[in-house]
Amino acid sequence: MKVHTPLSLILMIACIVALVGLALLAYTYNGEIKGFYLLCGAIGVVFFLLATNVLSLIQKEGRYDD
Amino acid sequence: MIELNIPPVLVYVVGAALLPLVGRGRVRRWFLVAVAVLGLVSAFTLKPQTSWVVPFSGFELVFLHADRLSLIMGYIFSFIGAAAILYGLDVVRENGEYICGLLYLGSALGAVFAGDFFTLYIFWEIMAFSSLGLVWYSRTERARNAGMRYILFHLFGGCAFLAGIVIHYMSTGSIAVGPVETGVGYFLLLMGIGVNTAFIPLHTWLPDAYPKATIAGAVFMSVYTTKTGVYVLARTFPGVEAVAYMGGVMALYGVIFALMQNDVRKLLSYHIVSQVGYMVAGIGIGTAIGIDGGIAHVFNHILYKALLFMCMGAVIYRTGRNNLTDLGGLARKMPVTMITCVIAALSISGVVGFNGYISKGMVIHAAEESHMHLLALALMLGSVGTFLSFLKLTYYTFFRRNEGIEAREAPLPMLIAMSVTAFFCVAIGVYPKMLYVILPYPEVAMEYRAYAPGHTAGTLELLLMTAFMFAALKVLIAPHERITYDIDYLYRKAGRGVIWFCEKPLMAFASAIDTDLRRLAGSFVWFSRNPAMASVVLLNATATRLGLMKPPAHAYGYRGEEKDDLSWEVPVKAIEEPRERLSIGTGILLVVIFFLLYLIVMLTHGWLA
Repeated sequence: MKVHTPLSLILMIACIVALVGLALLAYTYNGEIKGFYLLCGAIGVVFFLLATNVLSLIQKEGRYDD
Repeated sequence: MIELNIPPVLVYVVGAALLPLVGRGRVRRWFLVAVAVLGLVSAFTLKPQTSWVVPFSGFELVFLHADRLSLIMGYIFSFIGAAAILYGLDVVRENGEYICGLLYLGSALGAVFAGDFFTLYIFWEIMAFSSLGLVWYSRTERARNAGMRYILFHLFGGCAFLAGIVIHYMSTGSIAVGPVETGVGYFLLLMGIGVNTAFIPLHTWLPDAYPKATIAGAVFMSVYTTKTGVYVLARTFPGVEAVAYMGGVMALYGVIFALMQNDVRKLLSYHIVSQVGYMVAGIGIGTAIGIDGGIAHVFNHILYKALLFMCMGAVIYRTGRNNLTDLGGLARKMPVTMITCVIAALSISGVVGFNGYISKGMVIHAAEESHMHLLALALMLGSVGTFLSFLKLTYYTFFRRNEGIEAREAPLPMLIAMSVTAFFCVAIGVYPKMLYVILPYPEVAMEYRAYAPGHTAGTLELLLMTAFMFAALKVLIAPHERITYDIDYLYRKAGRGVIWFCEKPLMAFASAIDTDLRRLAGSFVWFSRNPAMASVVLLNATATRLGLMKPPAHAYGYRGEEKDDLSWEVPVKAIEEPRERLSIGTGILLVVIFFLLYLIVMLTHGWLA
């Protein structure tokens, strides 16, 4: 499968951002920091978007799975 | 007050047995409603007890063991069973499908009220086979194939479960359902339960089979198999840390794959994996609040997940479409379905005021109390993904513009079932004490403050940010006509490999063995016809091969050919000795040889010591 360089670059940067975000969350996690849940929501969405986009590389066109 | 005091399984099994006698018209409708009501009465009037003990082959099989844990499962199973029966009244055409549904529901109730492992195992297997019928009644090739994969998985799980039970019995002498000692049996039982509970990577049967079940069948299926697994997990493996973290993995894994789905029921199926993760986490944490949270989540999840399957079933029934890319614009055409679906979506997302908020909060609170911060974070992230996924589902099914779609509101029985279920999703969210009082540890649950200001504000912040991000990045999670590979891709590849191995090398090996055995048997027959002559022929042949002598041409009929040339047999008449005597001698020789071999084997294995 051909992966274009800009896409892989974007994915790489986004992965780094998500990892830093998750590390930040894990570090600050005690629920008492102001805006912690906002941060959690934002990083969570980015994490899921990234995960689905990375996994979409192994998707194939079609309507049925068998 | 009415008190039936019988195992609820009996009501449904008898109902299934009598159903063919009532035909398919109006009588069937009233009969099914009566079965649903009787089932509800039998479950809701049960008191804590151990009865219906049947002695069998030295064991005592307990068909009715009711305590707080089994009773809450009985309540929700029979309630949602009644809703599913009502839901299917206009959709289910064949009696066979209802029979499968009733047997499935009955066996799930039989499993949760079973007091011993063997009774549990019997109902466990009936569940697998009756639910298979709900997949196969779709009567499509895809459903048939998915059903086959489904039952293979469950047979594997059932074998592991049974082996675990046997090993547990051999080591403890007890078949009572309860915690299991560490050992081989422990892992086999966990694996067997893990199949039904959809542990990663044993989960693939679920998103494979559920979307292919019938419309009403999927409602039944979304409820019983995985929740019975969670119930048995709560009985046998409470407080196992690895199980708790498996729950965290399931919560995230299910959501990620759900977000990528186009088929609405496949999306919901992946969310079962994710939501069961919360329950498994609660059980794995093992504290009173953890168990309460896990079981509360079972209760709430059954309500909103059955409701979601009902709503999507209604959409498929009315539109004939099941992909998000084909749907949209149904909010005005199916308003009741839309409202109930939104209620279910808000419930599963854990929005404040709905039942999912209560039980998810309990599990996350339990994780925090037990200092499992990573688990708590995973479960919180799971909530974000769930909300994101259901914003996508409701938006692309109901609110996106789609002028080309034709539909009308679902039939009345469907709407009644959906509305009643939706009512309880809201009622428990608003007044959680009605759930707390039936949990296994009610006093601990009563102390939990679901609407503590910090928790409520935090949840609102989390979900509002998720909604904002969805609005901003909607284009990135728009549905596509794509197929997503899961781990089942590897299973299917491996399955094809196994079939190839069986058909090619294994069959070749088998036929080679077969040929050689036939040849060996032929040799024995040839030898036994005239052992003396055969020995001479063999010695001559050996000597000739070794170059010790020339072929004795035509001597005794031997013409220097292979030993299986039977033409030499004719001259055997030249030997005048009685054959019987020789045969006896050979027989004695063989007996002696076998006896020697037997002694050698016994001595080497120390059996004589």
